[in-house]
This record gives sequence, C-alpha cells and structure tokens, in this order.
Amino acid sequence: MQTAQQQAAEQSETDARLAAKAAGGCRQSVAALIERHYDRIHRLAWRWSGSRDRAEDIAQDVCVKLASAIKNYRGDAAFTTWLHRIAYTTTLDHLRSSQRMVAVEPSEIIRLIDAEVGSSAADDVIGQEMWTAVRGLPPRQRDAVLWVYGEDMSHAEAAHLMGCSEKTVSWHVHEAKKKLKTLLEAVG
Amino acid sequence: MTERDLERLKDLPVPAPRETAKRAALDAAMAVFEAAHPAGFASAESDAQMQGAPKGKALPLRQMETSHTKRSFRMYLSSRSSQAIAASVAAMVIAAPFAFQQLNKVGVPQPVTIAKTIAPSNSAAGGAAIDEGPKLAMGEVAKPKVEAPALATEPSPAQVSSSPVPPSGADARLKTRANDKAAIGDEVSARGQPSEQITAPAATPAEDKVAAVAPPAPPAASPVDALGAVGGYASGQLYRGGASIAAAPARKADLNAQSGSLMRERDTRLSTAADPSKPNPHSWMGRVEQEKAIVLEENRDKFDAKEINPVKQVATEPVSTFSIDVDTASYAFVRRALNAGHLPPKDAVRVEEMINYFPYAYPAPETAETPFKPTVTVMPSPWNPNNRLVHVAIKGYDLKSAERPRANIVLLMDVSGSMEPQDRLPLVKNAFRLLVDQLKPDDTVGIVTYASGSGIALEPTKVSDKAKILIAIDRLGAGGSTAGAAGISDAYRLAEAGFDKSAVNRIILATDGDFNVGITDQSELKSYIERKRQSGIFLSILGVGQGNHNDALMQTLAQNGNGTAAYVDTLNEARKVLVDESSSTLFTIAKDVKVQIEWNPARVAEYRLVGYETRNLRREDFNNDRVDAGDIGSGHTVTAIYEVTPVGAPVLADDLRYGKATAAPRATIRDEAMAASGELGFLKLRYKKPNEDTSQLISLPIADGLSKTNLSEVPVEQRFSVAVAAFGQLMKGEPYTQGYSFDDVLALAQSARGDDPSGYRNEFLNLVRLAKSARE
Repeated sequence: MQTAQQQAAEQSETDARLAAKAAGGCRQSVAALIERHYDRIHRLAWRWSGSRDRAEDIAQDVCVKLASAIKNYRGDAAFTTWLHRIAYTTTLDHLRSSQRMVAVEPSEIIRLIDAEVGSSAADDVIGQEMWTAVRGLPPRQRDAVLWVYGEDMSHAEAAHLMGCSEKTVSWHVHEAKKKLKTLLEAVG
Repeated sequence: MTERDLERLKDLPVPAPRETAKRAALDAAMAVFEAAHPAGFASAESDAQMQGAPKGKALPLRQMETSHTKRSFRMYLSSRSSQAIAASVAAMVIAAPFAFQQLNKVGVPQPVTIAKTIAPSNSAAGGAAIDEGPKLAMGEVAKPKVEAPALATEPSPAQVSSSPVPPSGADARLKTRANDKAAIGDEVSARGQPSEQITAPAATPAEDKVAAVAPPAPPAASPVDALGAVGGYASGQLYRGGASIAAAPARKADLNAQSGSLMRERDTRLSTAADPSKPNPHSWMGRVEQEKAIVLEENRDKFDAKEINPVKQVATEPVSTFSIDVDTASYAFVRRALNAGHLPPKDAVRVEEMINYFPYAYPAPETAETPFKPTVTVMPSPWNPNNRLVHVAIKGYDLKSAERPRANIVLLMDVSGSMEPQDRLPLVKNAFRLLVDQLKPDDTVGIVTYASGSGIALEPTKVSDKAKILIAIDRLGAGGSTAGAAGISDAYRLAEAGFDKSAVNRIILATDGDFNVGITDQSELKSYIERKRQSGIFLSILGVGQGNHNDALMQTLAQNGNGTAAYVDTLNEARKVLVDESSSTLFTIAKDVKVQIEWNPARVAEYRLVGYETRNLRREDFNNDRVDAGDIGSGHTVTAIYEVTPVGAPVLADDLRYGKATAAPRATIRDEAMAASGELGFLKLRYKKPNEDTSQLISLPIADGLSKTNLSEVPVEQRFSVAVAAFGQLMKGEPYTQGYSFDDVLALAQSARGDDPSGYRNEFLNLVRLAKSARE
C-alpha cells in the first residue's frame, strides 16, 4: 500500500521533475518522459489524422521535437500542456502539408478505400463514422471538438492550446454541433 | 450528433501504436537529445549502451558536407569545447558499428546525406541554396529512425560517407556546422526571434510548424548551446520562408512554360468527364471551361474511375479515341482486397488495368522496325448474345537482350517511417535485388532515398560491380517522414549526371504513396516530372503497402513521367513487375501510343469501350503529336475491348428510337455499299519511336474475315482477356454485364487457361472464386 502510494506520488511528481531534469540535460529523464507519454501523443495524433501510420509518423516528430526543445522548458506551464502544444502544432503541420499535396476529399476517399481493404483491424475501430464526421469539419471547429470532447478539456484549456479566447472555442463547438447534426441527419 | 454522442468521443477506442514505432520514435528522439547534450552525459551512458562494441576502434567515417563558410570554420577553430564533442561523437560513432562493419570490409560507401549547401547564411541568396539546406537539416531527424538500436544512436549530424576519415575529422566538421548554426542563431536573436518559440503560449501554429520541420540543433558545446538551438530553428525557418519565395516564381514559370502541356492534359481529362458533345475545344468558350476545370482537375483524377464509359451511338459519334494504358496497379489492389475477404471498392477497379495485368501470347511483330503489331478479333459477346466484341490486341516487339540499349537507372526509395512494415521497404529491397540481377554489366544503378531529407545511398554504379549495389540496398532502413519532392529532384540529378541519349534513362520510385512534405503543390510536381520526361528521363512508380497508398497521385506521377505505376504486395508480384517484365518496364519501344477506331454506321449501331475511362482522348488529339499518351515497353501486351451492337440487333441505349429516326434517311445507297464493304470499322494506331517527336501511323480495317462465330473459335489468349474483362466489369458493378455471373467468368477463364507457366491465370481463377464467396 505504502509503495503503491509512493509510486503514485512519484508518478504525479515526476512529470514536472523529470521535465526539469531533462531540461538540465538528463538523458534518462527524457527517455522516461517519452516512454510515459508516447501513447498519449499517438492517441492525439490518431484522433486528428485518423490513420495509424500517420499517427506514428507524427508521434515520432513530436518526440524528436520534445527532445530538442526540452531544454527550453521552464516549467511555466504544466508539462502535459507544453507537450500538448507541441503535439498539436506538429499534428496540424502534418495535416496541412498532406492536405496541400492531395485534395482533401479524394484523399479521404482513398483513405477510406484503403481502410476498407485493409486487414489492419486496428484502424477499423468502433465509432469510425463519428471520427470521420468530426475530421470532416472545418479545421478550427474540428480542433475545438477534439480538444473539448476527445481530450476532455475545458473550453479554457482548449482556448489556451488553440491560441484563441474561450468564447471563440465555445462558438466553434456550437457551430460544429450544428454542422454535425445536419451532416449525420442527412446520412440517416 | 447529439451532445451524448460527442461525450462518447473521448471513450471511443483509439488504435494502439505499434511497439516498433514507439521504439523508433524514442530512438530518434534520444539521438537528437544526445546530439544536443554531448558533454557530460553521453560518455557514461553510451558506454553502457554499446555493450560489446569494439572500443577504441573508431569507425571510418567521412564527411560529405560540401560547403562551409570560412566564417564558421574560424568559429570552429576558436571553439573551446571541441574536445568534449570529439569524445562524445567518437562514442556515438562507435555505437553504430555492427551495421557498418561488414560494409567497411567490402569497402562500400555508406549512404551520404546530401548536403550541398549547408551554410544557412547563404540561404537567402537564392532558391537553389534554400533548396538544399533544409534537406540536410531534415535528414538529421530522419537518420536516427532506424530499427537497429545501434544505428539509431548514431549521432544525427554525423554525415556518413564514403572515405575513411578519423573520427576527430568527422567531429571537426560537425563542430563547424554547429557553430554555423550558432552564428545564425545570433542573427536571428538580433532580429528578436524568441528562443522559447515553443513555450510561448500564443505562438501561432505557423510558428510552431517551423519547429516541427526544423531539426534539433546539432551538437553544440555548452557555451553555445542555446544559440545552437535557436540556430537550428532559424535555419528551418529561413528555409520555409525561402522555399515559398522560391516556389512562387517557379510556379509561375511553370504555368507559363507548361501551360501548353498542362492544358493538353486538362483537355484530356476534360474529355473524359465531359459530355461527348462538348464544346469545340478550340473555341474561346472551350478554353474558359478548361480553365474552370483546372481547379477540379485533382478531384477528377480520382473520380475518373467512377464514370464508366457509356454506350455511344455510331450515328452521333462514330469515332472513338483513347490512349493505351499499361498500368496494372488496379489488379494487385483488387487481389489484395479479395484475399482479405472483401470485395474491392468499385472505384479501385480499373478494368483495363486488370486485363493488361496478364501477359498474353499475341502475335508479335517480326522486326524492331514496326515496334508493335495489332491483332483484331471479332467475337460474340459472352454477356450479351445480341452484341459482338471487337478485341484489339497489341503486342510490342520483344527486344532481345543484345539489342537492348544500355540502362541508366536510379532507384528512388521512400524510407519514411511508414515504410517499415514487412510488406513495404523490406519488400522493395528484395524486389530491387531481383531487378539488379536482370541488368547487364554495362548498365548503371544509383540509389536515392528520401524521408525527412533525401540522400544518395549509392552513386551510379555499373552493374558489373553488383556486390556494391546489393550491399547498398541491404543498408537501407526506414526512418522519418516523407519528402517526396526532394528525393525526386535528387534522383533526377543523378539520372542527369549519368544521362546517355542512347540509353534508357529511368527513375524507379518505390513508395507507399505518402508524400507528406516537399514540393507540396501537386501540379508543380507533375509539371516538374513532365519537364524531365521531355528531357528524356522517364519515371516509373512501384507502390507498396496499404493504408497510406495514394493510388491517384502515383497514377498521375507515372503518367506524367511516361512510366508505369504498379502496385506490389508480394515478392511474387515484384518478380513479375521487375523481372518477368523488366524489359517492358525499363525499355520503351514506342511512346504516345493512341488508338482510334471509326465505326461503320452501316454495320454498327452502338459501341462501348470497356475500361480506359481515364484514358479517353478527343478525336482531334489523335493526330496531334503534342498530345501525350501511353507507352509500350519491350514485349508489352495491351488489350482493348469494344462491345458493339450490330445494326438490326436490339440496342442498349433508350434514345436510339430517335437516333434511328434521324439515321434512317441516311440509309442510302452509299450506306449499303459500306455495309457491303465487309468492314465493321477502321482501326488506326499512332505512335512515336522512343527518341522521335513525329508520330507514325498503323492502320487496319476491321474486316469480316476477322470475325468468329463462336467463342470456342477464338484463340485462348483473347478468350482469357475477355474473361478478365467480364470479371472487372462485374467487380465494378457495370450495368452492361448484368446477368453474367462469377460462375460464367470461371467457366470462360477455365477454358482459356492455356499453359500458364507463371501461374497468374490460376491465381485469377482463385480470385473469381473469392469474389463469389465474398459477395454471398
């Protein structure tokens, strides 16, 4: 019991402390941080991109960024917030660059085709149609919904990450709901 | 979607990452981190890490960075901390011995990351410099993502290269660059660039994006540590800015220079989708329409497949024109779907690609003078007793090995992280080994890789030095994200370096189609490839993997590069594409091959071209030598099948009732004479020899003598291709084959299996059975 508590304490303490140590150049701390947060990063990347392959590419970029930027981490914000920001901007960057390459709709179609064909059951998850609908929203609305509902953040936290006001987030969420409603009703 | 649905979002399952991906990410990150924190930490840890690594035996590495400013070199000389870096770099270099050891024994150069112009201070000078700088930078990130931990710990900036230089030398260069970046860092901070870019809470995504692309700072000694970091971002930023500056004029130039050819292509695509009776393309209105279509062009690329070629009435449109297509990607894709137990999505089915997947023993031309020979067979339509099929079989001349021109081949390999699974990079490597075995000693092979950056893994090497090539292939590993365009321009550079007018100059791009970064403008990339094609370097594409597979883009690129796009999912498939068909894949015997058939209205009421939806041409394009079309390689076979409704038989199209009314008065004596002429139509083929710009014409009347009354009289080869056509149409859900069943396909194909030495036809029979059970 004691040890479990200690472990829990360590767990909660270490994000901040590990980050501080990592900023100071401690190798193990960086590795520990990545080890601990990789799944979270990947999940976030997947929610935005909808493809495991892409999510892995994004997650790797985020890890590399984390490792190179950790020395600038001053502890002004919680480590997870800091990490979320990196993950968020990296993800957006990936989405944007791939969007420029391939027109959105066809790429989506190709992706869906592939997903259908694909034997990789992992991308075949429950609620796929919902993700697809959310990802089809305009980018800011999509981001707001994914932060608030996907990552379970408050509007204030989402606003912080998205670099806009809380009101704007609420508005995006509102608009998104309207759009999703008509969209899903149209489908059936 | 209700609030409750949204609430569920956070609980919906998310696929778990693969453990290998996680490891790779961690390794990449740690390599970057270690590179940035060389002193104090690295030595002890890397000792532990490289258990068993031969200590003190520094790996002979040579730097290939080719440009350093004198200024940065001075900075290096004045640096106090070079020794600390030397120690850590040496340690890291030793940490990656196993993969290299063997290579070193054989004396093969290891991949060199391209670093032609590094000095970021030059980047503002011009597009070229900008173009190169970042590749290097991105390469650093890519490099560490190699599965073998030993490789992953290789210090990212250590540019591996081909002549031995003691570690301290490598180190020196390293240092040079670190300082170089530090210097930039100075400039940037002078501009007020914040070093806490990432932590700045209100930073826009655009700013952070830089960090995403920019590499981590290379090793910098503690005093310049922070500056180095800023430098790293700064150079990335300069690049971004510079790239867009450079890209803008380039795009404009493209528009001017390429408008002709692009326009042609648009025309082609337009004609595909537009109503047959579209406006005269030369009219002003027509042009405007085309301009509008530019915007939609990319969409159309991918939607083309949806629009099944309609039945046309000979009375209104007697001439049918299309470009041949020797791509086969669709078949492999369909096979993959069926093997996984699904019916493929209809849009993934391209009937002509399925037909042309199979080798057919059609009659071949006797000499290379006529590069190919058309054989026409008219037979009853198996799926519609009232109709006839006009089967056009084209066989390209099969170059004997001795007649083959020399080949100058550059393999361009996607080594991004998504290529890691067994069915991707490992498959491609095996496939290229097979290909190398097919080449003659005089041929040359070069290898360029691309991921976050691009690198030359092998300078063009004669195949007589086969071991060297094979080892370079073995050496390739996956890592980083994809920058297709940077790799493409490097591959073209290499191909140009070895360019030989009399040789075949070809780039073979192997990718899972994930072009994430690089020339992000698709039309820019297309026109780039097209320009290169005009200079005599062709591009073929080998697609692998699924999930990322971007079929439409691959098609576009291959079509613009006068090449084929093949989808490879097994080594067997790779063998087919690269070995059995290596001569046709590599050696073009005729280019811009177009087919035109004029139907005799006295004999044929309606016709329909099976497949080739993406290859339709306008009637007048047939004689226009500036209009691009498909190519035929040595020994290639191409099959086109028309389904025609003879005059008098029940017609498919509803409105023929009125068509007849208008056609009736024209049934004059002349028509009767034509009917008596014993010709269903007239076939014309246009082609250019590979090195010529003027086309030549082959023509052939479709005479009654070519007609068979029963399917059983039709040669086996033609019959099999008809079975494949039927299958493709069934998979596509075309309305014209309703009533025909998979069992009918089976029966037809079974009777036409021939001796099937490679087993492709047996495999086809299995696929039909799979499709049958998948549908049930």
